[in-house]
Amino acid sequence: MAQSRRQFLARSAQLGVLLGASVPLLQACGGEDATGGKVDPIADGLAPEKGPLRIANFVDYVNPEVVADFEREYGVKVEIATFDSDSEFVAKIASGALKVDLAHSMATNSIGRLIAGGLIRPLNQTYLTNRGNVLPAFDDPWYDKGGRYSVPYTFFGTGIAYRRDRIDPAELDAQGWDAIWNATDFKGQVSVIDDYREVPAMAMLRRGITDINTVDPELIDQALADMVELIDRVNVKVNIEGYKDIPEGITTIAQTWSADPINSVLAYLPEGVSPDVIGFWHPPSEQYVVTNDSMGVLTAAESPVLAHLYINYLIDNAVAEKNFGWTGYLPALTKLDANYVIDQGYVPDHLRNAVPTNDDIAKGLRFEPLTLEGDALYEAAWSTFTSGG
Amino acid sequence: MHGTIADERPTRRRRRGTALWSAFALPGVIWLVALFLLPIYAVAAVAFGSVDPILRTAQPAWNPLRWDTTAMGQILDRIFGGNLQDDFVRTFAFVGLALVGCIVIGYPIAYYVARRAGRRRGLVLVLLVLPFWISYLMRMMAWTNLLQVDGYVNRALEWLHILDEPRTWLDGSWPAVVIGLVYGYVPFFILPLYAALERIDGRLIEAGRDLGASPWRTFRSVTLPLSVPGLMAASVITVLPMFGDYYTNTYLTSGSPRVEMVGNQIEYYLRGSSQPQAGASLTLVLMAMLLVLMVYYLVSTARQQRAVAR
Repeated sequence: MAQSRRQFLARSAQLGVLLGASVPLLQACGGEDATGGKVDPIADGLAPEKGPLRIANFVDYVNPEVVADFEREYGVKVEIATFDSDSEFVAKIASGALKVDLAHSMATNSIGRLIAGGLIRPLNQTYLTNRGNVLPAFDDPWYDKGGRYSVPYTFFGTGIAYRRDRIDPAELDAQGWDAIWNATDFKGQVSVIDDYREVPAMAMLRRGITDINTVDPELIDQALADMVELIDRVNVKVNIEGYKDIPEGITTIAQTWSADPINSVLAYLPEGVSPDVIGFWHPPSEQYVVTNDSMGVLTAAESPVLAHLYINYLIDNAVAEKNFGWTGYLPALTKLDANYVIDQGYVPDHLRNAVPTNDDIAKGLRFEPLTLEGDALYEAAWSTFTSGG
Repeated sequence: MHGTIADERPTRRRRRGTALWSAFALPGVIWLVALFLLPIYAVAAVAFGSVDPILRTAQPAWNPLRWDTTAMGQILDRIFGGNLQDDFVRTFAFVGLALVGCIVIGYPIAYYVARRAGRRRGLVLVLLVLPFWISYLMRMMAWTNLLQVDGYVNRALEWLHILDEPRTWLDGSWPAVVIGLVYGYVPFFILPLYAALERIDGRLIEAGRDLGASPWRTFRSVTLPLSVPGLMAASVITVLPMFGDYYTNTYLTSGSPRVEMVGNQIEYYLRGSSQPQAGASLTLVLMAMLLVLMVYYLVSTARQQRAVAR
């Protein structure tokens, strides 16, 4: 349905508020649903619906056994619809093409939009009895003041995963981000994350620029030039396959999320390959881009109580641990810190730096939502890079 | 002069008969309108529409009077002189080479099945159709396993002493993409060509031989010209989906920017960006280019039919 000029201006004004460091103001007002009505949390003490509970999530991003356990415990059926990208998820939810009760893994940049669009509802915290398990850094996250609409699912940072049997860890520590550009001995075995913000941010951080949300065309152009240099210099690949390509030996060094090397060790080591060969370089705190995926309940949910119960279930310490053992993505819970997951044998000690911490969230860099024009600059740079420069 | 009732009866019956036959086309027309024309109009409405500033979703402009051509203009600028030019050049080159590969591999097979397979024709046809039972993506994934550094291809070549050490086949080189396209689409090429070759009247070929032409000369002067319409149809059926392909190169090169095709950009803009109008505009431009090829095909086919009729 085409929007009128008035609607467009109203939406633009909302966007201005959303991007103008006034997220709390907007959220305090609460979102509005499609009919313009205020969206309230569900009432206290409601009985769970009969289901099914419909969930939207990325593929293979929750342990099927955990889902089956939930089905058994609450006597309901869970249906999972999958999507490939956050944009796809938001578009399908907004158009009504995807009708689900629970958003399993919302990106931080989408949460503000979903709130402003009235597509997710405030949570009723009385159902979330396990909320105290969540890391304190998420008590008042920047993308959802007071954590009214979302509960963090997993969190991770961006660094470099590499083969320790091919690259000396000391050398990588010394070179930092430059190691990606210097990997000329491993042409065709170098990859960067398939994301229009992550790669330019890496190029900027390499030059010491920590404002990774800049919309200065000169800085973005410089980042693009550095990215394009990778094409001929190291025959770079653009994908998110590092978690399996590194253990398989196809890739030697890659910009990855911190969960990837953990995932490699948990599930993707070929027979006869030691976990010792998988390494991770954690950038200095002031260069560590940290992000998280979050769960939320859709305004149009038909089973909102079940959705609350599912969120609460996922932040139970034992359930979250079981889920981590399968996905490799660390739940944002205080109990599951580096010492614990290493002691329990999920993560080898040499990958301790790949386990994100409360401090990482508190001190790290983050991707913030941009204006349409700002996004267009990054998207144009990304289009140029992926088309070969 | 007024006709009699007896005169009118056959005319009405003919009209009724004509209407009945025309009605047979109705499901096809409905299908075409619902699943072809309307989607194309929807793509145009997105291309010339706007974007929700908050949710970044497409806001199609259904009224052509309100169409905004900004995105289309930017896309055209980038195709003719910008970064998208490389994507188009690569796409046309890969598809052209893959078509040559399909002809070189597919024609002899289609010819053999149609003219020489004899009683084994049924079996060979089943074998040709067999790959269709497996999804395209699965077949491409199988290739990536075969071509990995420690895959069966390298192992076989090392065992045969053709290679001294494993080769990185999936390193973003264009031959891998072209081979993948040929492998993926060659069955689509063979089947229509087989049907055309099978329909050639054997007496014409025999006449050529009886008049003293060598087998090669008979093929060149009789079989090949008569198979051109089939060759054209097979080429069109194969080439059209190749132009929109974006997963063959992605799978076989792990996402190398060196071999990106137009389909990748369309996919990115429509599914992963805040500019769906750009993706829809690219789709329309690609369709317009393919329309030129289709018109050429239709004109040349009509010309050949006229020549045969003469």
